[in-house]
Amino acid sequence: MQGLFSSRRGLTVYLLVWLFLGVALGGVVTLSGAAPLVNGLLFAVPVCLFYAFAAGYSAYYLCRAYPLGSPKTGTIPLVFTVAAVVASGLWLTIAQAWNALCQLFSVNWAGIAITPPLAALVVGLGILLYGFAAAVHYVVIEFLRASGAEQRSLEARLMAQDAELRMLRTQIDPHFLFNSLNSISALTSQDAKAARRMTLELASFFRQSLGMEAHKKVTLGEEMVLIRHFLAIEQVRFGERLQVEEAVEDDALACLVPPMIIQPLVENAVKHGIGNLPEGGCVKVMARRAASVLHIRVENAVDVDLPPPRAQGSGIGLANVRQRLAAAYQHEASIHWARQGASFSVEIAMPAETLNEGT
Amino acid sequence: MRVIIVDDEALARGVVREYLDEHPDVEIVAECGNGFEAVKAITELEPDLVFLDIQMPKLDGFEVAELAAGKARFIFATAYDQYAIKAFEFHALDYLLKPFSQQRFDQALAHARANLGNAGAAQAETAMAREAVARNKPVGRVLIRDGAKVHVIASEKIDYIEAQDDYVQIRSEGKSYLKNQSMAELESQLAPEQFLRIHRSYIVNIECVARIEQATRDSHVAILKDDTRLPISRTGYQKIRAVVQ
Repeated sequence: MQGLFSSRRGLTVYLLVWLFLGVALGGVVTLSGAAPLVNGLLFAVPVCLFYAFAAGYSAYYLCRAYPLGSPKTGTIPLVFTVAAVVASGLWLTIAQAWNALCQLFSVNWAGIAITPPLAALVVGLGILLYGFAAAVHYVVIEFLRASGAEQRSLEARLMAQDAELRMLRTQIDPHFLFNSLNSISALTSQDAKAARRMTLELASFFRQSLGMEAHKKVTLGEEMVLIRHFLAIEQVRFGERLQVEEAVEDDALACLVPPMIIQPLVENAVKHGIGNLPEGGCVKVMARRAASVLHIRVENAVDVDLPPPRAQGSGIGLANVRQRLAAAYQHEASIHWARQGASFSVEIAMPAETLNEGT
Repeated sequence: MRVIIVDDEALARGVVREYLDEHPDVEIVAECGNGFEAVKAITELEPDLVFLDIQMPKLDGFEVAELAAGKARFIFATAYDQYAIKAFEFHALDYLLKPFSQQRFDQALAHARANLGNAGAAQAETAMAREAVARNKPVGRVLIRDGAKVHVIASEKIDYIEAQDDYVQIRSEGKSYLKNQSMAELESQLAPEQFLRIHRSYIVNIECVARIEQATRDSHVAILKDDTRLPISRTGYQKIRAVVQ
């Protein structure tokens, strides 16, 4: 059984409402002068609770069979009117049977006289309550459907983010990996120890990046560890050409950032900046926390002769980072990039969150 | 056999050097770390064979192959497999994917030895490289080899181009450069929204045109911002009228 009865709380509330109705009906019976209060209650409460299940279940199945918004919507009032009349007629029969059973013992605290007005009241009430049960079911079904849809869209978003991160990873994989392996291949005969160091850096880099999950933020410190592995590997490849400067303040290290949000910027800096300079240059990674805002800046040397907008490559990487920032922080985060003379810089500002401060 | 190794990574050059140790008849005449050096070394030293990386500073491997076409044969070596087809359009002897083994390297070298005797191929290759470049249009820059020197001119800095017999004269920032290429070929490489062929002998950068004047009753001239006057043919006039209003 689903819908209203799927949770214990829903069922309890439902039964309490019916219990209250039963007490009210008992009161009405008493007030109409048909019987003392005890007799009234003994008649009304079990009858109401019974109807709670009978009407509840039958209405539920009808609600499932005639969902709102389906082509059959027009016939819903008719169907429920017929069902309510039939159900309340049956209810009256059951009530009379129960009353007869009570009277069987001929004790003075059980059994009432069912007068025609009372019978009419029971039937009328039965019809109304049947409609009430149906309405409650419709509300609950719609509510569950809406929250289910919300959850599915949330899951879909998470999956999309994970897929995006995987894609980002495969973006780094091939060429970075093959070039690194080529360096290792060269080092094995020239400097075996360096070859081993590079293998270990490469292993650490991939182990860490493969272990990251899109929806789980990491501290800037962890992201910096990844970046250091990456730069250590690239420094073996590029040798003297790649210089690295790091200026990350201590209070910024504890801040949370989406995983692999800075790594693509550093990768771009090496690939499009240093990779195009015969003499090489410097990649600077800076981060500082100013009250509630975390500022991150990646700066690199570029070849002044290169035409500035190299449509491919850097553009895609930056657009991707911008998209992921927007997904994680909406308008609270920003990313800007600019080329000034022989230097290219990307600057990110995002809310400074730490593990202790929640979220 | 004389070879040149071109790669911006010292370690990658090291691998090739090490593999070449197995072949005592091969002499390494130069090692270059960027495209400019490579063009200079290839033109001056005229090696038989060049091992060429593709992703390099200043000029990439294809640009080097275009500028030095006919001077040597090429084996490309790169981590990127997506350039393989383009490399064969440049008539590369082989395409080595990094990292590669000694066996694979020896195979490429043997293939090169077998092909090097074939002198006519180098000439055909010049044309092939040209065609390959033309297919990858439009280019953001024009490369001109002047002896062993290479000029790189960003296409937006070109004012106009004038036909000169078998050459084209490219005018940029007050200087002229001669390039051994046909007008039609160069025209096809430039962005059509910026460059217009206004005359059989002239391609102009639309940005540089100040105004158009009537020269005689049925001929026009384009006056550039530096007051240069370029003739406009009748079909050229229709083209430029449609753009400059």
